[in-house]
Amino acid sequence: MSRRRFMVLVTNLSGAGITLLIAAPIVGSVLSPIFQRRTHPWIRLGDIADVPLAQPTAYVVHFPVTQAWKVPAVPRIVYVVKLNVSGQTQLLSFSNVCTHMECDVHWDTNLNEFLCPCHGGLYSIEGINIGGPPPKPLYRYEHRLDGTILYVRDVLTEA
Amino acid sequence: MADESTRSPLAQRLTRPVRGPMAALYRWMDSRLGLADLINKGLYEATPRRGAWAYTLGSATLVIIALQIVTGMFLLWTYVPSVTEAWDSLNFIARHDEFAAIVRGMHLWGAYILFVVVGLHMVRTFVSGSYKRPRELNWITGVILFLLVLGLGITGAMLPWDQAAYWTTVVVTNILHYIPVIGHWAREVWRGGNQVGPVTLTRSFAIHIWLLPALLIPMIVAHLYLLRRHGEFGSWVNYDPDATEEELAERMRHAEPPYPAKPTEPAYAVPADLDEFFPSQTAKDGVVSFILVLIIFIMAIAVGSPLEAPANPAILNYVPAPEWFFLPLDQLLVQFPQSWMIPVGVFIIPGLASMILMAVPFLDRSPERRPWKRPELMVPAGFAVFFLLFETMLAVNRLFNL
Repeated sequence: MSRRRFMVLVTNLSGAGITLLIAAPIVGSVLSPIFQRRTHPWIRLGDIADVPLAQPTAYVVHFPVTQAWKVPAVPRIVYVVKLNVSGQTQLLSFSNVCTHMECDVHWDTNLNEFLCPCHGGLYSIEGINIGGPPPKPLYRYEHRLDGTILYVRDVLTEA
Repeated sequence: MADESTRSPLAQRLTRPVRGPMAALYRWMDSRLGLADLINKGLYEATPRRGAWAYTLGSATLVIIALQIVTGMFLLWTYVPSVTEAWDSLNFIARHDEFAAIVRGMHLWGAYILFVVVGLHMVRTFVSGSYKRPRELNWITGVILFLLVLGLGITGAMLPWDQAAYWTTVVVTNILHYIPVIGHWAREVWRGGNQVGPVTLTRSFAIHIWLLPALLIPMIVAHLYLLRRHGEFGSWVNYDPDATEEELAERMRHAEPPYPAKPTEPAYAVPADLDEFFPSQTAKDGVVSFILVLIIFIMAIAVGSPLEAPANPAILNYVPAPEWFFLPLDQLLVQFPQSWMIPVGVFIIPGLASMILMAVPFLDRSPERRPWKRPELMVPAGFAVFFLLFETMLAVNRLFNL
């Protein structure tokens, strides 16, 4: 190897080494949210004894922010729905986040459907996407009933 | 592209026409961007052959500044410049984001190593008399860059909003109010009020990530442009002041761009022996920069970046101490007490020192470059360095009782 080729090699190798040393921790930190461990504590939603049949009822639940530093808990809406399915009361707790672009849907009492104000997505009382652009039904929160007190946690399941 | 005959033999040897399927795209781009000329100018220049290792400090400075910019850019992905969340966001990094903690450690140790390298770069330039005609503006832009780096260091130290950051902010902003006549207003402008508070942190942050870098980057471009325009001086070992006129004329005939440096004395216009910037100098530059970045990387992992308790002015047993590179200035605050003397310690001495530093090329106008023949420069400079170290030692003794 000539002196010149050796110098070119050293230049390129040291440049690559510098780049690697700087880039490696940066790439790691940028990608770290993907590998973060998350916790999902149970949150008390409230007493649901008075929720009427077939009338989605909005509860404000303060979910603690677990993936950053200490910030105020975020208030979010959980729709609690009681349905009569062949004589049995079925309890559902919907996320009000539209499955299209994650806008907030609300129960529209004129339509008797969940309506998304952004792009007109529609969902039935069972949370099934029945009109507009949403590709999936509304997500459901994992919930746990203790007497008439409902607990939810920030784990979403598909219908 | 420059005409083949007017290009240096080095450049001719190194720039081959591009062939293959990408050639048309390359030619299209190049005719519009002039990249080949730029690369020619940037890489294929002659540099002095001897003492090349001493001349790796400038590129090392550039590499570490680039490291600071890149790591800083990505610290912004998590850091929140707010008195209620700055500490929490960095604590989150320390506890839950190991990679970001390394990035933060590299930003801190990058700053530390940068001060060392910038200092050595200045000392080397001073000793070899490289600031002399026609390179006066290289030196002056360098001094401005040094002052900007000091500013970046001290404003960066204010951002974590732990105890150290808080007291750094209090003391540094308070220094401003000793400016005669307008001092109180100057302090209030930075603080955003008469007390250090939320607005103060936002302003220190803005100064650190926008104002100073926006001044720094064009100054670096100017510094590099001037380097390319006049070429590296390469220290006295490359020259022979006792050479005969015939010898010098012979040297001129073999000069390659950017030599002969103009306007300068014929004896110092062309180094005796030239080498290629790329790859001979870049290989040495690369090795030194790589070692420094490796040290920064290792220190970031082994020691990391500390985060003290959150800012709390109600804690009485905390002893505020500035970052080590500001210890000499901090010591001046002790040595110049009482209202009429304080401005001497905080403005007049550092201000005069900066002005003298900037004026060095005009104070020393003799053609002589050999340090042992310039005692009138080397001795006072030696005292200045000794004074800085002595003040640092006094400050360390005062603050840490070593």
